[in-house]
Amino acid sequence: MTNNGSYAIDLHRVEKTYRGKVRALRGIEMQVHRGEIFGLLGPNGAGKSTLVKIMMTVVRANRATGTILGRPIGHKPTLGRVGYLPEHHRMPPYLTGHQVLDFYAALAGVPRSERRPRARRLLGLVGMEEWADKKLGSYSKGMLQRLGLAQTLMNDPDLVVLDEPTDGVDPVGRRDIRDVLLELRGEGKTVFLNSHLLSELEMVCDRVAILVQGVVAQQGTMHELTAESERYEVAIAGAPPAWVAGDEKLRADAGPNDTTTLIAPRSDAEALQPVLDRLRRESRTILSVKPVRETLEDLFMRAVTDPETGRPHAPGAARNGGSS
Amino acid sequence: MRVFGAMLVDAYRELNSKRLFWVILGLSAFVTIVYGSIGFDDDGMSMFFGLVNIDNPMLSRDSLISSVLYRSIFTTFMIGLWLAWVATILALISTATIFPDFIAGGSIDMVLSKPVRRPTLFAMKYVVSLLFVLLQVTIFCLGVFLCMGLRLGDWEWKVFAAIPIVTVFFSYLYSISVLVGVWTRSALTALLVTMLVWFSLFSVNMAEGVLYQERTKLVIRTEESDRLLDSLDQRLEALPNNDAAAPVRARVEAEQETALAQRTSVQDTIDQLDDWYRPIKWMQAVMPKTGETIGLLDRWLARDTDVNLMDIMAGTVEIDASTGDFETRDTSADRESLRRRLEEDAEKSLWYIVGTSLVFEAVLLLAAGLIFVRRDY
Ligand SMILES: Nc1ncnc2c1ncn2[C@@H]1O[C@H](COP(=O)(O)OP(=O)(O)O)[C@@H](O)[C@H]1O
Ligand SMILES: [Mg+2]
Repeated sequence: MTNNGSYAIDLHRVEKTYRGKVRALRGIEMQVHRGEIFGLLGPNGAGKSTLVKIMMTVVRANRATGTILGRPIGHKPTLGRVGYLPEHHRMPPYLTGHQVLDFYAALAGVPRSERRPRARRLLGLVGMEEWADKKLGSYSKGMLQRLGLAQTLMNDPDLVVLDEPTDGVDPVGRRDIRDVLLELRGEGKTVFLNSHLLSELEMVCDRVAILVQGVVAQQGTMHELTAESERYEVAIAGAPPAWVAGDEKLRADAGPNDTTTLIAPRSDAEALQPVLDRLRRESRTILSVKPVRETLEDLFMRAVTDPETGRPHAPGAARNGGSS
Repeated sequence: MRVFGAMLVDAYRELNSKRLFWVILGLSAFVTIVYGSIGFDDDGMSMFFGLVNIDNPMLSRDSLISSVLYRSIFTTFMIGLWLAWVATILALISTATIFPDFIAGGSIDMVLSKPVRRPTLFAMKYVVSLLFVLLQVTIFCLGVFLCMGLRLGDWEWKVFAAIPIVTVFFSYLYSISVLVGVWTRSALTALLVTMLVWFSLFSVNMAEGVLYQERTKLVIRTEESDRLLDSLDQRLEALPNNDAAAPVRARVEAEQETALAQRTSVQDTIDQLDDWYRPIKWMQAVMPKTGETIGLLDRWLARDTDVNLMDIMAGTVEIDASTGDFETRDTSADRESLRRRLEEDAEKSLWYIVGTSLVFEAVLLLAAGLIFVRRDY
């Protein structure tokens, strides 16, 4: 998998220090495979938007090696194959939905003959047909977001980069957006998603990276990242059996209403069977047996917690002079 | 080309959405209608479609004066006052937001992430933002062209020279607005600084005008002194070299001395004035020539005859009321200095006036472009 061609985004040593000495990014290493939905999460000020802006040539990196769709970062023509929805985007309020799509598509180099039918189709895709000829000034936040999403698809991109796409969108809209993303993956497009809404990413992302204070703290498939934490939880009635204390693989937590939860911190089911047998032999009532793995939120909280203080890092980027 | 087309259409839609654009257009229409209401017949001139009549054979139809007057009203009031002042201020207010809006966070991101290079984007945005003024002047000139044709029967194509002239004139000021707007991202600051620079341009030109007049009057005095000294020299030479002529000689020599002293003191004053005049001249040379650019229109519209409204008003042209003929004459030092000024101004080439102004504009735009291209948004 070292072949560049298999990565939609392949970033190495991306560093950015804004004027005013804000070290927003401190050496990013990140790989996004083609055809996957990739989620970048991190607390406010972690540098997510900065990273995206560097890829989109909106911000200049102090240092960046790597490729986007096989071309070096900053290669302008490549951006013709990329769709981008900025965070807090602002589109001309004097244009109608249709005109906005047409305008940005023209900037992206889409020929006129293709723009009209595609705009109509995409307005349908995001459920905005009825608003196609109304001025943006009359749109709600969620409608603007839907239109923005349609805008990113006007050049039929291979890579779609979305910075907080569900910002200000109602639950229905969120599901619609999610469906669109899955559809895009179905078409073989790569989706790069930036969000602080964990549950959202959990539902659609194939792989995620967690960005904390300008560095990638964790990166991998959801499965990879949570495998370590996988465990079985067995809920039984009554007090913990005495023999549990002697088994170093088992842990017992007292549950509510005179119940006990036994935690087997391994994911293979075989190892659990003897435990269940013994419980049955002792006629303990087994209330439930369930495989449990860390949620993205647990993972995230773990990543953003400062191991020294045991508390989450303060929001924002590291200042120059801070530990690196 | 595709990108430029899209940006042009967008610029049109943007100005279309601005209320001020329509306000200016409405006022322009009003001004043009007033202009069109001026008519000339056998008895003289009438205004507001005959509401006000000025009966004077000098102003009758087909007289030279009426034609000169009608053109001069166009260049002096319609262009000089309305377009180059009032409409320009309104246009500056209205266009000051274009670049700050363009580079606003969330809006510039959408554009920069397209496969278009930043310098190209900047240049295109600048050019299409001049559409505002271009459209205004074009529509205006069309109206004036029709008025002249219908009223005087002369279909004067040269009227359309106002389109490039006013647009170029506006672009000098607009480049200031763009630089400040890109730099500070604030439309209000851009507008205020632009007005301030424009006002200081105006002040510098005023100061130069006053200094020029004073200086020229002094120069005229030195010229008079020189002539006097020459004649005194001649008189001395003509005097016979004998005792009878001695008192006369002494008197002439005394006169010569006074004249010389006077000339020296006048020259001293000129030198002192020059300490101020020269730097102001330099400032003028590098600053955009707003007034003179608009003045180019006068030149092009002036017919083969050398008379224009300014000359008439300055009194350097005398008009024979019975025939409508005119002649130029020299009078006092004031008038002489004004005459010299007009002469000098007429000698300034188009390339000097527009060229140096465009250099100024180019420098400002280069700075604005650099800021635009190098910034993190
Ligand atoms: N244009 C800028 N100039 C200076 N500092 C900036 C700029 N943009 C972002 N930052 C700083 O960089 C850090 C990362 O910001 P950002 O990338 O927006 O984080 P995120 O999107 O993860 O919330 C923050 O501390 C922010 O204050
Ligand atoms: Mg962000």
